[in-house]
Amino acid sequence: MGENLFTGIAAWLSALLNAAGVPLIANDIILMVVKFVAILVFILVNVLWLVYMERKVSAYIQCRIGPNRVGPKGLLQTVADIGKLLSKEIIIPRLSDKIVFLLAPVLIFVPPLMIMVVVPWGRDMAAVNMNIGVFYFLALASLSTLIFWMGGWSSYNKYSLVGAMRVVAQMVSYELPLVLALLGVIMLTGTLNMNTIIEAQRHTWFIFAQPLAFLIYFIAGVSETNRTPFDLVEGESEIIAGPYTEYSGMGYAMFMLAEYANVMLVSIMCTVMFLGGWLAPFGWTFIPSWFWFFIKVYVMIFIFMWIRWTYPRIRVDQLMGFGWKVLVPLSLANIFVTGVGMYIYRAIGW
Amino acid sequence: MFGQGLIKGLQVTWHEMFKKKVTVQYPEEHAPLAARYHGRFQLDADKCIACGMCANACPNKVIQITKEKVGKKQYLTKYVMRIEYCLFCGLCVESCPKDAIAFSHIINMNQFYRDKVRLVLVDRPAPESLPEGEAAEPDAGGAAAGKAARVQQAARAQAAAGKAADKEGE
Repeated sequence: MGENLFTGIAAWLSALLNAAGVPLIANDIILMVVKFVAILVFILVNVLWLVYMERKVSAYIQCRIGPNRVGPKGLLQTVADIGKLLSKEIIIPRLSDKIVFLLAPVLIFVPPLMIMVVVPWGRDMAAVNMNIGVFYFLALASLSTLIFWMGGWSSYNKYSLVGAMRVVAQMVSYELPLVLALLGVIMLTGTLNMNTIIEAQRHTWFIFAQPLAFLIYFIAGVSETNRTPFDLVEGESEIIAGPYTEYSGMGYAMFMLAEYANVMLVSIMCTVMFLGGWLAPFGWTFIPSWFWFFIKVYVMIFIFMWIRWTYPRIRVDQLMGFGWKVLVPLSLANIFVTGVGMYIYRAIGW
Repeated sequence: MFGQGLIKGLQVTWHEMFKKKVTVQYPEEHAPLAARYHGRFQLDADKCIACGMCANACPNKVIQITKEKVGKKQYLTKYVMRIEYCLFCGLCVESCPKDAIAFSHIINMNQFYRDKVRLVLVDRPAPESLPEGEAAEPDAGGAAAGKAARVQQAARAQAAAGKAADKEGE
């Protein structure tokens, strides 16, 4: 029940277009556009919800109630916030590089949205079933660094510049353990296709086969999304808001919303690589596969928020030291152990 | 074990999530005020003997008293507090020999216009003559008159409170 809800809609639309005599290539293009728009809407609605959820989680952890005035239970709070931010003036500093300055908040949403296209939301529910999906994900995820740097550099502000330099330093150094942690899973499955990786977890989720890799990936993921305890990029007490300092109105909001889109991305990747993607645990297939995926992603997101509101921010030297002296050697060791283990298992003949 | 503190921190925040929330939803609920809370002033005009000790005690010259002589006694005709200068120290309340001026629990004194902020506690014309025997030994009739006056005063205070609660002013 509900399992084929979305694939059914896609098949129905395709059949409808076919019956209307639309040529096959146009049929495919229309279907693709519909899928992309659906993903776009899904992501934007989720991002709005995540801002609300973050505020609620933080409030509950701090013994408060959180937003509860706008709409039922405060659900429309984010909508009101966005409405307010849209109506505000976008102030452009006189000496800033105006084109780059205005381009950065526009581009910031592009990498997350491009990545979402290859995500398998459920059984046969990837908009594009790419056989180098993981590679595509990693390649595009590191593009965000460039856009943060654009914003920080063009603002002509020392806080923005320091923040942007921190973004680049942090994201580049944590990209390495992130990729190396995923390498363990890729070695086990021998593929970069997300669907095949999920299928390979039918019996054991890779969080049990590769617990260290999961931990490294998770920590590096928190760092990649610039969230506490690695939110040096926007360390309010030191550099105001980092690369976002000079942005106002919707420009600022885009950066903030992109942060939540990135949180979602990292959670999705965690789900796909380590938590069995859309596979139902314990054979509970009465819940549709896409809903399992959704639940797992939201559990991961909740853990991200929980961590954010628990730990204090660490120092820059601690961040770099932890990244290069702990995470990178650990992830290399993980790859080594995985490789050796695979040969041993093969020799035993499992 | 390494990372024990991190786990402990997560446990603390997890338990915190299910605790009773401390937020008081202000316009609907009110946090209880202490009995001695320094709120809006209230004046029992019947008790007031217009001695002016409160005005003398006030460090900011907030209190302005106008009085007239009726018969042998001083009669309070106007009691105005320029509340925008008041620091709610309570020296006037302490200095009052008859406990006529006191703090109430009304905390909403905001006004839209500055000239509405001024707190007029009493504004009345002086009577031709005071009723007989009202002050020293109140007999039955006097008590009744006093009661009537007190009811009137309460109504006035209520009206003033209503005006204070109205944010927009007139």
